[in-house]
Amino acid sequence: MTAELMRVEDLRVYYQARKGLIGSVAVKALDGVSLAVHAGETLAVVGESGSGKTTLGRAALRLVRPTGGRVVFRGEDVTHLPDSRLGAFRRRAQGVFQDPYSSLDGFMSVAQILEEPLAIHGVGAPRERTEMIHDALRDVRMSPPEEMAARFPHMLSGGLRQRVGIARALILKPDFILADEPVSMIDASSRAEILYLMLELQRAYDIGFLYVTHDIATARHFSDRIAVMYAGRVVEIGPAERVIDEPLHPYTEALIRAIPEPDPANRLRHRPVIPGEPPSPTEPPTGCRFHPRCPLAIAGTCEVVDPPLIEVRPGHHAACHLHPTPEEG
Amino acid sequence: MRERLRATLSELLTSTTGKVGVAFLAVMVLISIYALTANPVDFGDRLWNNPAAWADNPKNVPPAWTGLFQSTRPVTHSVLEATEPTETRESTRFVERVYALDLDFPYDEAPTFTSFSLEDVTYQERPPSVSLEVARPDGRTVSLYRLAVPAPRAGESPPYSRYESTPFRVHLTGEPSVAGEAAAFLREEFGAGAQGGSLIGRVDEAVFGTPDAASESGFRPLQGEYRVLVTARFRDEADSIGRVRFVVGGSQFGLMGTDSLGRDLARGLVFGFPVALTIGLLTAIMATVIGTTLGIISGYTGGKTDIGIQRFSDVLSNIPLLPILLFLAFILGQKLWIVIAILILFGWPGMTIVIRSMVLQVRSGQLVEASAALGASRWRIMLRHIFPQMAPFVFAQMIFFTPAAILAEAGLSFLGLGDPSIPTWGQILDQGFRTGAVYVGYWWWVFPPGLLIVLTALTFVLIALGMERVVDPRLRTVRQ
Amino acid sequence: MSLLEVSDLTLHYATRGSPVRAVDGVSFRLERGQALGVVGESGSGKTSLSLALMRLLPSNATGYGGSVTLDGQDVMALSNDEFRRQVRWRKMSMVFQGAQSSLNPVLRVGRQVAEPLMLEDGARKAQARERTLRLFDLVRLPREVADRYPHELSGGMKQRVMIAMSLALDPALVVLDEPTSALDVSIQAQMMNLLKDLKSELGISFIFITHDIALASDICDRIAVVYAGQMVELGSADDALTQPSHPYTQRLLGSIPRLASSEPPQFIPGAPPDLSEPPAGCRFHPRCPLAFEPCDRAEPPVAAVRDGHEARCWLLTEERP
Repeated sequence: MTAELMRVEDLRVYYQARKGLIGSVAVKALDGVSLAVHAGETLAVVGESGSGKTTLGRAALRLVRPTGGRVVFRGEDVTHLPDSRLGAFRRRAQGVFQDPYSSLDGFMSVAQILEEPLAIHGVGAPRERTEMIHDALRDVRMSPPEEMAARFPHMLSGGLRQRVGIARALILKPDFILADEPVSMIDASSRAEILYLMLELQRAYDIGFLYVTHDIATARHFSDRIAVMYAGRVVEIGPAERVIDEPLHPYTEALIRAIPEPDPANRLRHRPVIPGEPPSPTEPPTGCRFHPRCPLAIAGTCEVVDPPLIEVRPGHHAACHLHPTPEEG
Repeated sequence: MRERLRATLSELLTSTTGKVGVAFLAVMVLISIYALTANPVDFGDRLWNNPAAWADNPKNVPPAWTGLFQSTRPVTHSVLEATEPTETRESTRFVERVYALDLDFPYDEAPTFTSFSLEDVTYQERPPSVSLEVARPDGRTVSLYRLAVPAPRAGESPPYSRYESTPFRVHLTGEPSVAGEAAAFLREEFGAGAQGGSLIGRVDEAVFGTPDAASESGFRPLQGEYRVLVTARFRDEADSIGRVRFVVGGSQFGLMGTDSLGRDLARGLVFGFPVALTIGLLTAIMATVIGTTLGIISGYTGGKTDIGIQRFSDVLSNIPLLPILLFLAFILGQKLWIVIAILILFGWPGMTIVIRSMVLQVRSGQLVEASAALGASRWRIMLRHIFPQMAPFVFAQMIFFTPAAILAEAGLSFLGLGDPSIPTWGQILDQGFRTGAVYVGYWWWVFPPGLLIVLTALTFVLIALGMERVVDPRLRTVRQ
Repeated sequence: MSLLEVSDLTLHYATRGSPVRAVDGVSFRLERGQALGVVGESGSGKTSLSLALMRLLPSNATGYGGSVTLDGQDVMALSNDEFRRQVRWRKMSMVFQGAQSSLNPVLRVGRQVAEPLMLEDGARKAQARERTLRLFDLVRLPREVADRYPHELSGGMKQRVMIAMSLALDPALVVLDEPTSALDVSIQAQMMNLLKDLKSELGISFIFITHDIALASDICDRIAVVYAGQMVELGSADDALTQPSHPYTQRLLGSIPRLASSEPPQFIPGAPPDLSEPPAGCRFHPRCPLAFEPCDRAEPPVAAVRDGHEARCWLLTEERP
């Protein structure tokens, strides 16, 4: 494995939410997450809504200030750097966002959108910038670049808009890109195209990707490792195929089984489901957070002891009492 | 941004209301430019509120074009002037210069008044004397007035100047000596037993008519060519008169008539255009600029700044404006800039509250997040990404705010708290009401300023309606 | 007799330019107790199809026509008022996309379900309440949920309330427009199981509109694939999913990432066409890798591939223009 690029350690993000008229309550969006992204690697973060996957992405880009823990980027702790000293980090770590409609400024042409990061970081003279913009458009297969640069977002399809979003993240030649649900708003027939493009650019420029998604199926095909999140925690992390083919955590397994595949036999049987709904982030369950829904919960253990994330197989970690630490077992 | 503005403008011009509104506004701007170039900046102090400037105008008369609708022929206001004598007679003792002023008088009534003025008299030793006569179409000549220019005062040295800055002016119609002269004329020529006293105020009927017992006033207008003769008798060749003037007061005046001071309402109304536009646009622009800036800062920054700005605007927007305006105009004096400042001060909070809620919506969007991830500063995000999304709304609000400001000023003026140094439509309206113009039917005094206020408000409302499509995306068609 | 027979249904929208042909000559049948999946990408006109069926036409709708026979009744012949009183909600109801957000936040959800019962059915309050509670049982919601306000419910619970509402007047047909697209996969699976139960217990027919052909396979007996306002393939779920005939259906299936296999997903290059100016000939031809001579100039006819399975493609017919 190559060099570590981005590491978060015991990252916590709590929000204050109003409760009633005067009370306030802590929403624990992210509650002690540690993981690392390596150069040239795609780490997929998979989870349902409320799992904290989006907050993790935002915290990794320092778009929210963590309540606790650290964000270390290329050996430098950026957790508490003031905005004025984040310039270098912002240049090296970029983001591609979910909504290709609202994440681009509709009042700017593609050229203006792509020039924005160059202008912010003072990169290149005007003529060089035009060249860089055209290069970035060529990188994301938007041709002819001269013509595409003059367009406005509303003239582009969702897929092309998201390419502009990728080009914008790419133009500063970053080391790290957060891709937050980059294809969830794109037509099914075009999703793979965008994902292949990102994969290709990753290989060409050796970028580390944090791919945040609810879609475990795309994670299987387009990432090297998968981290599964539940209620603000990572419950399982490991090589993509291993996590899908041999899931260690009951939640991962349930998640995989909930995904429909196009099979005419589906309609003749019930899909195995996890009962209930994800817990409230203000009052997570004691012990293992999944225990109220877990079909395999061990009474007397799971609702009491919070299982740590341990390496069950080489490179494959899970936080579950079914896979006890050596001392326990 | 430029692209946006152009799109906004073209969208505006596709709607009929927008087109009409913009056309009205263009006319208003043209009139304003004319008003500012044709009038001095201190128009209000120097002319409008200076009764001397309007002394030679008829009072309370309707516009000249109303004559078109009358069966009798009313007197057209005419000012006869001469600077050079038409005839010079020299004798051993005097130099006599005659200034003849021709007057065509085809009217069916007597002038409302006549006046005579003399400007800029210079003499070397002894003062000249001036006499005024009118030669009538029936061959008779009536002598009206005689003036001895004041003699030198002690300590003055020749040449002596008189009536240089303020002309000598005599209101013939109301002058007792003139009435006496006219009575004498009547006695001599017609043998009528008219008394001088009874002719005060009615001199013109005698001068421009013949006695007629059958008519109500006792005189019948005499039509034809008149000649006003001003004869100046000088002692010295070098003595001179700058200008003589004879005014025949019309029963109608100008484009918009006159008020009780004889002011040409057309000029006041025209000067009202730039004033109204200035009040409206300045107030609207400043209030929207402040409101938008604070709204964006409030919405985007959040936290204490947000709470501070919002509470402050809540307080301001809950203070009733009119009493405050009355109160401050009373304390600080009737100054237009104070009115504008107050309208701005109380105008922005509404805007801030709305803009803030719009920004809150935009802030949670991914554009802001994406820009922050690129490293854009908060100012850059506010200016480049948030403001453009607010711009059409801000622009439309600004246009809506304009007539409100104009109406507020008009209301204040109407309550008698207008700035006396700057005439506005509201003030003209107020003076009309105060002198009872409404009750005696001087419609030309109160109707036009009211109409112009309404029309100006309408202009901006039409533009704002035309803008509706720009502001409300649901009404906008997709631009491909 | 089929429950629903639709033939040549069209719905266009007027714009400043040429009209948007959102539904352009769609024909299909639906048997009692069956579910038809309408699968299409965004902008394919699938939502417009549901609006056309429910006759919920936007103000700029033009070119609304075709024939719709529901339960033997020609519903296109009804006036708007008759349609509203006799058909909508009574015979055919609908669950809208993102419907959870259409709940009134200040009314208890039970009251909102009871409302159509009282208004449309003239049921008295107690009766309506009783019926509402039974509807809650039906959609597997605890009865006490009826006394809660919408903000106290999770997304999945709100969607169940919406389904209960659609069942209030015992319709024979429910149109579901992306009923699970806003839900997490685990909740989505719960919802699909519920729909399966309703289908088998009540014998209701569904029209299930979705962008996700895999999800459609979860409940649908027949699957219709729509592209650019037209139905390009219609057949049994078995045929459509295992032996798709139309190149678009084939590629759409290929674009789904499979969990079970390591074969990576494919994609269809390009983007769906602008419905106001669809391409000449076959509407899919600019993106079709198999396009040949007639495709760009003549619209392909509907070809019967097998019994009850038809597709609109020049490859499937011997005819030539």
